Amino acid sequence: MTIRVDHLFKSYGANLVLDDVSLDFRAGAITGLLGPNGAGKTTLVSILMGIIAKDRGRVLIDGLDLDRDRDRIQARASIVPQSFAFYPTLTTRENLEYFGALYGFKGRRLETRMDAAIDAGSLQSFLGKRAAELSGGMKRRLNLAIGLLNEPAILYLDEPTVGVDAQSRSYLLERIDRINRERGTTILYASHYMEEIEQISQDIAIIDAGRIILHDRKEDILARRGAVTLTLDRLPGTLKEALERVAGLRVEAETLVLDRNEDLNRTLAGLFDLLARHGAEVRALNWGNGHLEALFLELTERTLRDE
Amino acid sequence: MNRIFHLLKKEFLVISRDVHAVAVLFVMPMAFILIMSLAMQDLFSTQSPVKIPLLVSDRDGGKPAAALLKALRGNASFEVKDIPATWTDAEAAAALNDADAKFVVLIEDHFSAAVRDRKPRAGKKPLVVLVNPVVGTQMQLIVQSVLANALGKVRIEAMTKEMSPLLALARIDPRTFRQPSEAHIEMRFVTRGEQRFRAPNAVQQSVPAWLVFSMFFIVIPISNTFISERSQGTLQRLRSIRLSRGILLLGKMLPYFFINLIQVALMLLVGMYLVPALGGSALTLGDSPAGLALIAAAVSFSSIALALLIAVVARTTEQATTLGGLLNIVFAAAGGVMIPKFVMPAVMQKVAELSPMSWGLEGFLDILLRNGGVRDVLPECLALAAFGAVMLLLTAVILKKQFEGSVSP
Repeated sequence: MTIRVDHLFKSYGANLVLDDVSLDFRAGAITGLLGPNGAGKTTLVSILMGIIAKDRGRVLIDGLDLDRDRDRIQARASIVPQSFAFYPTLTTRENLEYFGALYGFKGRRLETRMDAAIDAGSLQSFLGKRAAELSGGMKRRLNLAIGLLNEPAILYLDEPTVGVDAQSRSYLLERIDRINRERGTTILYASHYMEEIEQISQDIAIIDAGRIILHDRKEDILARRGAVTLTLDRLPGTLKEALERVAGLRVEAETLVLDRNEDLNRTLAGLFDLLARHGAEVRALNWGNGHLEALFLELTERTLRDE
Repeated sequence: MNRIFHLLKKEFLVISRDVHAVAVLFVMPMAFILIMSLAMQDLFSTQSPVKIPLLVSDRDGGKPAAALLKALRGNASFEVKDIPATWTDAEAAAALNDADAKFVVLIEDHFSAAVRDRKPRAGKKPLVVLVNPVVGTQMQLIVQSVLANALGKVRIEAMTKEMSPLLALARIDPRTFRQPSEAHIEMRFVTRGEQRFRAPNAVQQSVPAWLVFSMFFIVIPISNTFISERSQGTLQRLRSIRLSRGILLLGKMLPYFFINLIQVALMLLVGMYLVPALGGSALTLGDSPAGLALIAAAVSFSSIALALLIAVVARTTEQATTLGGLLNIVFAAAGGVMIPKFVMPAVMQKVAELSPMSWGLEGFLDILLRNGGVRDVLPECLALAAFGAVMLLLTAVILKKQFEGSVSP
């Protein structure tokens, strides 16, 4: 399902949270919504889900206008909030049953939906355990499982891995990726963790101070930036002196860092010639994996974890 | 219906697993009813009243003084202890504090002579009462009245004796003057229906008061669960499930309405069975189950509506607990729950009428104490319903604003 956002504005009192946001989310893709805390990610997701009202602008989801067809849109979508949006004193099963029933399912259908959600979150061993007693990772899985009860065509994930260990994070990302691949679910993944966004997204949108400052396919974004590094087996003094005269090159111990610019290919050709003349060999070459944080810094003059 | 059933089920599960909520809703009012009913039973009892300790020094030693002492000892309200006649005023005053007594009655040495005097003597009074300052005005007046009554009898006795030849000549029986004045007074308790109890007792008075108080304490669990849902994002999730404000509010009101009714049933059962099992008087329910149900429903509606308003106004559970607790205490103190309205001055009685707890209390007293019916509790029920409707309307407006994001949720 495609999501089209046109000139969206939202403010809380005098605080402008979304400032003329316009973008299209591709159907069936995972779009990473990247931005620091307070950038407007949660507000954007909440508006798209129809939970809070926008001030101005238009949202079309699969051709349906959010203003007119909110119920139909909400029926096809689901949100997994950043907080643990369930009842800590209820068991895992009771929470799933409760939210499943509120979605309108009952009887056999409710059981089927619950089973699918339990399977998606691998919650089988924890059904009788109260949610408060689950580990951080298990709580995140329950949070996700509840969001899958209505088998949504659009899934909004708001910081779904905050506070979990690396193993649980990896598990959650794998599950989210599988949901996207197997069900074709359109996923909007809001996070301030650039590693996660890089790992899971097909498209990336960067938001800062309520404005979308970049939105493109991941490959295209990553290709735009990323230094090339060459690690040498040795760095003789004479070579070091010669390298200092190469434009766009920095020497860090035995690693040479080349900025990506229009002269990159020519610089590399001259560099390999120079290394051959000094008898130095390249032990490792990194063609650059794209530095989102560097890109973000360049675009906003702030780091991703700035408040 | 399926949604409502699961909303109810969830709320019952959450409450039953919340030790603090159970304590606030059930344990605290039960304890209040037990303690207040048992502690105050003597105050309302006609069988074994609380005795006021009275120290008496008979410095006169005459027959009128002896007659006064006999009258005081014969009064069930007093526990009379003698102190030596040789004690000075200072020693008697010291005894007042040492013996933890409330009053010392000094029958002065000219008491017998003064009783027979036709005019009061100048100088020291024949009967002096030393009063412990902790004693309230009401008790002072009771002691003063009993002493005046006893003194009157002693004087009549003395006078009839002195005038006995004249009375004999006039063929008047002196016993005519000796009739106890209590013999001319009858106390009747007026109820609206048939009276079911011999006299109002402590349990009959305290159950309605603490019942209303505990029903209003539902403010704390309701507001706490609502605020937790909001801060945990559960409310956000419920909104995304297309749960309307109406269903959301109904989902809160219905479960707590049932919890309020369970409270009412439990508190009445405590009054009927547990208090008497522990030595107190048993609660009688009156003749109008419909009236009882109506006033219980009205109190429940208004308390839940108030709770919801606090829940949407407060930002944290701490704020809600403080605000809810404070309002409850103020409503209870002003509304006659903690201090009976009849002992309040006229101005405070007017103020009490502004408290919804007062309306609820009057309604329950109409049924349980005055044996009234549906018609008798209608004014209180309408007032409570109007109060609840206003609270609910405000809640809906604020919630709408919050949902629409015009204020930060």
